[in-house]
Amino acid sequence: MKTPDSKGYFGEFGGKFIPETLTRCLKELESSFNFLKKDKSFNKELSFYLKEYAHRPTSLYFAKNLSKRVNLKVYLKREDLLHTGAHKINNTLGQALLARYMHKKRVIAETGAGQHGVATATVAALFGFQCDVYMGKVDIERQSMNVFRMQILGSKVIPVISGSQTLKDACSEAIRDWVANVENTYYLLGSVVGPHPYPLIVRYFQTVIGKEVKRQIRDKERRLPDYLVACVGGGSNAIGLFHPFFDDKKVKFIGVEAAGYGLNNKNAASLIKGKTGVLHGAKSLILQDKYGQISEAHSVAAGLDYPGVGPEHAFYKVTKRAEYVAVTDKEAIQGFKLLSKTEGIIPALESSHAVAYLKKLGRRAPGSIVVLCLSGRGDKDLDIVKAWEK
Amino acid sequence: MGKIEDKFKRLKEIHRKAFIVYLTFGFPSVSATSKILLALNNSPVDIIEIGLPFSDPLADGPILQEASSVALKKGADTDKFFSLVKGLKNRIKIPLIVMTYYNPVLRFGLNRFLAKAKDAGLGGVMVVDLPLEESAPYVRQARRLDLDTVFFITSQTPKDRIKKIIKSSRGFTYYISITGVTGPRKLPLEKIGLHLSAIRRMNKAAVCVGFGIYKKSQVKSLMAVSDGVVVGSSIVKFVKDNHKKRNFTGDLNRFLKGLYV
Repeated sequence: MKTPDSKGYFGEFGGKFIPETLTRCLKELESSFNFLKKDKSFNKELSFYLKEYAHRPTSLYFAKNLSKRVNLKVYLKREDLLHTGAHKINNTLGQALLARYMHKKRVIAETGAGQHGVATATVAALFGFQCDVYMGKVDIERQSMNVFRMQILGSKVIPVISGSQTLKDACSEAIRDWVANVENTYYLLGSVVGPHPYPLIVRYFQTVIGKEVKRQIRDKERRLPDYLVACVGGGSNAIGLFHPFFDDKKVKFIGVEAAGYGLNNKNAASLIKGKTGVLHGAKSLILQDKYGQISEAHSVAAGLDYPGVGPEHAFYKVTKRAEYVAVTDKEAIQGFKLLSKTEGIIPALESSHAVAYLKKLGRRAPGSIVVLCLSGRGDKDLDIVKAWEK
Repeated sequence: MGKIEDKFKRLKEIHRKAFIVYLTFGFPSVSATSKILLALNNSPVDIIEIGLPFSDPLADGPILQEASSVALKKGADTDKFFSLVKGLKNRIKIPLIVMTYYNPVLRFGLNRFLAKAKDAGLGGVMVVDLPLEESAPYVRQARRLDLDTVFFITSQTPKDRIKKIIKSSRGFTYYISITGVTGPRKLPLEKIGLHLSAIRRMNKAAVCVGFGIYKKSQVKSLMAVSDGVVVGSSIVKFVKDNHKKRNFTGDLNRFLKGLYV
């Protein structure tokens, strides 16, 4: 089955649930994207920037020490080595070229951990866009270094003080800005969420991860891996890794959500604890109450702190193509330390969730070949981990 | 014929335009909503749009965002909404439309939501983020129950799409005056007038205009080019600023008369 369908559905999830004001620009976006993805010079230019500017391909590193500790054969897909320190740049480069083609002068973005914000500010500087980034006040405080990076890059960071003051509210505020400035503004969404065609566009630019992995693991192991593991907030690094393996049914997908304080407490595990609903323009699994009011999520990792998830993940979940598990804040911090101490690689707290799950996987399926998407590096999280120690 | 559709028919007979106001259910409290609804019986208001609050109202500006957030904190949920409206059914003379976002409807159950709306005596429904493409089951069920369905158009909507939207609308079609969220502002009245006249030449159905309208001169000028005008945020702001005053309902009616009559 080809997903999404022409209306933007992945099975029962996805679609376009948007105020009428956005209908026309989403259609324009869709037709521009459909044209460009087949355009040779666009793809050539994107490949150029991915290689020369962002530093692709990233290595697929065999983590020998970690493997021993978790009783698996673990390969790390090193997205943390990319320019700006996370996989987000894959998508922002692609969408910036798209925005330029659409003659937009201004880009806006939402950000949680600030990684997408920094990646957007970076391409805005590179291609000469005016750039405003919406960020929840709570996140501004806990990811202050990334705020400063965005400002250095020439972008404005607009604090969002409504709701939970995190990624969900930053996203709502960015959409409101877009509704008001739709003529000259391009909304550069950072994950596989939002109304169609965003989940498709972001997937298109992030699948470079999985495509490289497929080639690299064949070179190293002469076969495909048993498991792909990635953290899931909105789910862009996970979809980027999983999607190219969709038809390789023997390759199992494991998405690791944020259990926050625990699955029966405040968490961000939308796929495990959510119910079908509509948030930010798409139908998916959403953390909400019985009246459809969206719940406040929690995760120590700002980039996972979101009560919704990309519709394609909801589809993988109900069709059982992927398995979704969750690890708590505490376990994630342990994962953070484990990778730092065993391999000398400090992971982002988001990616630390995926690392933390390896111990459990090692008990379940010892000796398996696992590719883990190390979606970002942990420099931005040092203050949080330091505070956690106390 | 639905209650809203019927209202427009009667207004047309006396050559009058609809004065529509928006209120957030549960703001500043559930009991205050009940008091305000009853007080409006003595006002020049023709139709009341009552907002069932949603935690993430994407199309709303700061005033209505705050009202929704306060209402939710005060426990303004969907069950209380229907029970309040049903309780006042025989005492409110003005037809009511519920305005909300899709998630509260979806979670409550589409058919159950519409059945409750009918039972409570509501005249129509409008769902801000439910576009035409996703609306078929909703329109079908609303027709069965004789509830009017209000859809939105904007200055960006192409001609052929406007036709389709007007066809799915019943009661009236809501013309959004500006690209942007709700909230008082200066409006390009002449541009809106030209576009509205073009739309109304093509279509016979009622088209009302809303978003941004907060003063008498805007109401007057937009009434002339449409079938009605919706005032929202500025009324909610008036409620916020004045609800503690002793003569609040009287003041509110004077405020409304100042906007229209």
